[in-house]
Amino acid sequence: MTDLPTSPFPAFLVGLPVLLATLSLFFRARGKAVVGLAGSLLTGVMALFALFEVTRRGTVIHILGGWEPPLGILLRMDPLAAVFIGMTAVVGIFISLYAWRYFRAQEATTGGFPLFWPLWLFLWAGLNGLFLSNDLFNLFVTLEVIGISAVALAVLSGKKTALVAGLRYLLVAITGSMAYLFGVALIYGSTGTLDLGLLGQVLEPGTTTTFALLVITLGLMIKMAGFPFHFWLPPAHSSALAPVSALLSALVVKGAFYILLRLWMEVFGVSLTYAAGQLIGLAGAIAVIWGSWQAFMQTSLKLIVAHSSVAQLGYLLMIFPLLILAPGVTADSADWLSPAWTAGVYQVIAHAFAKASFFLSAGIIIMALGHDRIESLRDLVGHMRITALAIAIAGVSLIGLPPSGGFMAKWMLLKGIFLSGQWWWAPVVLTGSLLTAGYVFMLLRLAFAPAREKEAFRPVPRSLEVCALVLALGSFLIVLPADNLIQFLQSGEVFGTGIESIMEGGAHGND
Amino acid sequence: MSVLIDGLLAILAIYLALQSLLAPRLIKSVFLFFAFGLALALAWVRLGAVDVAITEAAIASGFLGVLFLDALRDFSPAFPAKQKNPEAAHNVLVKNNTKSLLLSRIPLGLGLGLFLLIALEAVWKTPEGGGLTAAAEAFLPESGVEHPVTAVLLNFRAYDTWLEIGVILMGLLAIFAVGGIKVYRKPNMAAQDPMLRQVIMFFTPVLFLFGAFLLYFGKTGPGGAFQAAVLWGAIGILLHLGGKSIIEEIPRWLRQLILTVGILFFLVLGFLFVAGGNALFEYPRAYAGLLILIIETLAAISIAAALTAIFANLNQMKEDPNETESIN
Repeated sequence: MTDLPTSPFPAFLVGLPVLLATLSLFFRARGKAVVGLAGSLLTGVMALFALFEVTRRGTVIHILGGWEPPLGILLRMDPLAAVFIGMTAVVGIFISLYAWRYFRAQEATTGGFPLFWPLWLFLWAGLNGLFLSNDLFNLFVTLEVIGISAVALAVLSGKKTALVAGLRYLLVAITGSMAYLFGVALIYGSTGTLDLGLLGQVLEPGTTTTFALLVITLGLMIKMAGFPFHFWLPPAHSSALAPVSALLSALVVKGAFYILLRLWMEVFGVSLTYAAGQLIGLAGAIAVIWGSWQAFMQTSLKLIVAHSSVAQLGYLLMIFPLLILAPGVTADSADWLSPAWTAGVYQVIAHAFAKASFFLSAGIIIMALGHDRIESLRDLVGHMRITALAIAIAGVSLIGLPPSGGFMAKWMLLKGIFLSGQWWWAPVVLTGSLLTAGYVFMLLRLAFAPAREKEAFRPVPRSLEVCALVLALGSFLIVLPADNLIQFLQSGEVFGTGIESIMEGGAHGND
Repeated sequence: MSVLIDGLLAILAIYLALQSLLAPRLIKSVFLFFAFGLALALAWVRLGAVDVAITEAAIASGFLGVLFLDALRDFSPAFPAKQKNPEAAHNVLVKNNTKSLLLSRIPLGLGLGLFLLIALEAVWKTPEGGGLTAAAEAFLPESGVEHPVTAVLLNFRAYDTWLEIGVILMGLLAIFAVGGIKVYRKPNMAAQDPMLRQVIMFFTPVLFLFGAFLLYFGKTGPGGAFQAAVLWGAIGILLHLGGKSIIEEIPRWLRQLILTVGILFFLVLGFLFVAGGNALFEYPRAYAGLLILIIETLAAISIAAALTAIFANLNQMKEDPNETESIN
């Protein structure tokens, strides 16, 4: 690992947003916003340059302090990390632009929430740090950075509902972190190393490893709101300010998924059992059905969107059973693996764009109406054409209709399901899509329906609507580079030495 | 003999924890929590982790305890009246639902018990990995300090420590986020109290010197920035309670500078190394010791200021009843 080319980019991806966040604290309200927006744009552009660097040079590393692992910490930017960092950059830039206009429009009544900017930049640094980290304990620290800044952002509005939901979010986040840390302590105690690359080689199956895998997986499931730990997400995400809701749903929950994916693929290959995979897949399947059904039953727009997140995150859990073969089965080639896990990555990207757009649209509607009860969406098309279009496009991607990014994700997921022979997951994917179509078309029907009575739509800055529309379009545009993206992801050798044990049907773990 | 002491300490810690959870009155819970923290600190000493013991005593028992007491004072006018009602309601609930509660609790209890058993087995069966102690000792001469824990925190894994300093700063921002940045009335309680004045005048220099000692001692033994910061933060809290809130009275730019100088200096220094072609936080070997001492001092100042500011903000929020209502 340490013979890979080094690059200063990983250090700047974490350091720069922290530097800008800290500097913004010296300014007063308006100055904070200016520094914050400039900082967001700068961080985003740098992240895209870093992504470009990885496409050119392959995986790059940065050995912090010059101390090689296991003693020191290594930042590694491989294709998977680069894709997540790039996604965060694009979605982050548009949410930042939206937030700038959104907060300025209500500066007179609310003070413009200047603390949003340092907290968001810290959050961004935490996300970049998480994607780059190659060390179990450092991952815990980045989870802390993300958790605290996310909770602070969630309660920024100061409303009672937000504070109640935020407190629960905080307790859940801490519980998840503690479970994760317990697992890390067990792993460190038994192997004496925290570096993911080394762990993948030295970890041996046994009670300790299995239990560590269990608590780490539980902790991360809590953090990514996997069923049955999804209860905290809808109140926390729906009661936050619109740009914050978008950040939380599009980016923050994906951090825990990223760690889970990395650990299952790279580190814990020896301890994975078929049953564990089926169990986590079942949790995902229930989340897809239950979350979609709950979304269908809601009467306010933000709650629909938040419940929809529970369902869309369920799809992410459904890729894990596909990574493990049934007992006794061995594979000659790893053909089925790549559609399975790249489906997860595509789902993350497609959902990030679509859900960010959806929450931003909800913010526009709240700004126009003062509330987000869905019966007031009547004649939305007549009043706010662009927002209605954004909702429609983002909704189509959530359902998974071609040619959207959501379609790509679900298509590859189905491909992975059939290639791995685990056909029983297929009906779940289809039912989830149908239910999603249910609540999206319910919204669209209202948007086209004539108004019963004249409800006052207050004027909303056009630039806000454009931000939401661009993100919605993004969820379609990501299909264009699909071939290159998948090849790029596969060039990263994420499985490392784990692939043999996966092809042997996880032979070690099936006892 | 040592087994006896350890056994008693273990029983004491569990007993205090249970008592703290089960205490009928919140004030009793808080004081038992103090005691529990001290028992844990003693346990850390017995385990040979003096650093953790100092931190446990200072942060978990000391700073957290002060925040709890403060919160308690805030709740106390509302609580006596309210406390009876939920309990009465709870009793009724228990009487009505005893059966169904019992039914749902049996599987839950069994599940938890099973989980604990597996956890114990997993911990028990943990193979000896040896950890990174040997590696840390081997590179100690190149780290610029003589204590392995300080070497790990400030040199080998400086990146983690730098992020943690950021977490503390964000804790403060989170409190601002809940309460908003407002101008509070200055607390003027007990400024004239001669006892309090004497306590402040006696403890301020003692705490300062002890903090400085821990900071410098971190180079060769257990101690360092975080432990020193808590003691210096205690000075700020004492002064604040005495009506002299330094963190609120200095100019704004200076306050922001003190709060951020720890993380900023650390980072800018790191960037300078990167600009010079090295990695982030890769100190030149010859200056490592000096740089680490400067970083630790500035970090301790920032953390102490953050702890003081956290207390000052929480403490003042209740001075004005209108402010608390505006949150709801």
